[in-house]
Amino acid sequence: MSGIATGAGVLRLEEEPPDEQIHGSTRERDNATERRTERAAQTLANPALGLAKISLTFGGVAALRDVDLEVAQGEIRAVIGPNGAGKSSLLNIVSGLYRPTRGQVQFGEHSFDQVPTARLAAHGVARTFQNLALFKGLSVLDNVQMGLAHRMRAGFLRQIMGAPLARRIEEENRTAAKEVIGFLHLDDVHDRFAGTLPYGVQKRVELARALVARPKLLLLDEPFAGVTFAEKQELSQHVRNARDSLGATIVLIEHDIGVVMGLSDRVAVLDYGRKIADGTPDQVRADPAVIDAYLGVAHEDATELAV
Amino acid sequence: MALLASTKTNRPTAETLWIGIGIVVAYGVVPLAGSDYLLDAVLTPFLVLALAAVGLNVLTGYAGQVSLGSAAFLAVGAYAAYNLHLRVPGLPLLVDVVLAGGIAAAIGIVFGLPSLRLRGFYLAVSTLAAQFFVQWALTKFGWFSNDNPSGVIDAPVLRIGSVSFATAAERYVFSLTIVVVLTLLTLRLLRSQSGRNFIAVRDHEIAAKVIGVPLLRTKLLAFGISSFLIGVAGVLWAFAYLRTVEPAGFNLDRSFQILFIIIIGGLASLRGSFIGAAFIVVFPLLLSRIGAAVLGRVFDSGVLEMSQHIVIGALIIVFLIAEPRGLIALWDRAWSALRPARRPAIPT
Repeated sequence: MSGIATGAGVLRLEEEPPDEQIHGSTRERDNATERRTERAAQTLANPALGLAKISLTFGGVAALRDVDLEVAQGEIRAVIGPNGAGKSSLLNIVSGLYRPTRGQVQFGEHSFDQVPTARLAAHGVARTFQNLALFKGLSVLDNVQMGLAHRMRAGFLRQIMGAPLARRIEEENRTAAKEVIGFLHLDDVHDRFAGTLPYGVQKRVELARALVARPKLLLLDEPFAGVTFAEKQELSQHVRNARDSLGATIVLIEHDIGVVMGLSDRVAVLDYGRKIADGTPDQVRADPAVIDAYLGVAHEDATELAV
Repeated sequence: MALLASTKTNRPTAETLWIGIGIVVAYGVVPLAGSDYLLDAVLTPFLVLALAAVGLNVLTGYAGQVSLGSAAFLAVGAYAAYNLHLRVPGLPLLVDVVLAGGIAAAIGIVFGLPSLRLRGFYLAVSTLAAQFFVQWALTKFGWFSNDNPSGVIDAPVLRIGSVSFATAAERYVFSLTIVVVLTLLTLRLLRSQSGRNFIAVRDHEIAAKVIGVPLLRTKLLAFGISSFLIGVAGVLWAFAYLRTVEPAGFNLDRSFQILFIIIIGGLASLRGSFIGAAFIVVFPLLLSRIGAAVLGRVFDSGVLEMSQHIVIGALIIVFLIAEPRGLIALWDRAWSALRPARRPAIPT
């Protein structure tokens, strides 16, 4: 996927390039098949995200033990597990906030012992946080535009003086931010301070801030925690759109199994820092180890699974 | 007084209008001012303290890095400008001012380095190092004050080309021009990506880092810009206001005074810096008049100073608890109560 987020063109990635329509239908089909095979081959060589034998210990406590995880391009991948299973630790390792005790993280062809957090955006990775991490003192529009902060190549003097380069990038970023705000139906609140909005709306603003950079890989940390049922429906639609329209590969950490099963292509289950199951939602739901793990912990988790 | 909006919710046209009115009034005051006293003892120190407060507000209010070393950067600006003037013959005054600000910025960046590891209270304590180190160095090494035994420096006459700024009114205009230009440039900076980066680092450092905001560069930029502004304020303090300064004048009390200006006026508000500075300058004058009127002879300078400390201390506590956004928040609320339809409501 192209990393340029300028103008309206990028938003409509799902549209076919115009020259396709001129060609005959057979050739078009050939092209499509070819492209799919190509993509599959690429996926095997370069998964959007690969975790190899990740272990993490805090003092003597093992938060994660030998976790492998492979996320294919264009997939919605859920990681679920009871409280304390190590889900958030896993995400913090992927975003470089923790350094794994052992193991490696792979984005495309790059492999890391510790992911350089400062270069995350440059690698096309964005994330949201379990508890909101918005900039309360900025408007919604400015919050979303912050997602493109790394694109500003002009120094502060050129920004003050309004040099052409600074003005052009500022303009591009603002346009991209406004587009994403429209995409997530935030137009009505674009000039409000982020801290003054209801929780569910703030979650959407955070999603917008992550999406504005058109990430290749989007990490969502409990996106559905603490939002109402209606907001859950809406948010999961936005997550699906992020993949379908913007072409992002999505990894989401979730506690609430109900939403995840309908949304994800594949689900990995963590318990006590180990991966105990990995597969399609149906496979995972039927897995005895998963049922045991969930029955063994908090009661509401078990009922959630039953639903 | 220049009225400068700090929030982007203000409509630009109305804001530009207010800034314009403020500047016209500020320049128009000169011929109307009946006495040199008003210009020399009230308006000029108000402008200089306001500029210093704008500088500290960039660092503490916007970028969230607490500093207790403001007076050190005032001193660096003052002594740097003095030495540049003394040792570089023929250096134009404005170049001198800018270079002095630059030297203050460089020292500010050095003392800002710990900010990558320290935050809040611990960072504030580490900026105290700047405060004590600068004061010590200026007293210890006679070179800085051209070997004056008590470290006192006398300001040269302000002169740009053939125009000299010698009278109270002229020095006020000189200060006003520099303060207006620098405040407007600061406003532009705060509205740029760099300014948003400051607020992002203040509000959620980890999220800012994940997004790709360069933390070290952003923090050091905040320290640099802040020290530059405070350094230039120091030049004005020494050259346009007092004209004779000594290192002891830039002590910790001065640092606290600037910090109190931004707390009382309003953190993360340029307008607040001006309102806070006005308050700090005018309040002691009012207090002495009122005190003298009510209590007569009993209210001498000792009592005045004590009551000043008590009232300002109490105000700081009240503001921190009841209205952390300072006087400017009260002003905005009063304004929107007067004209409810004109402002978009921001629920709190």
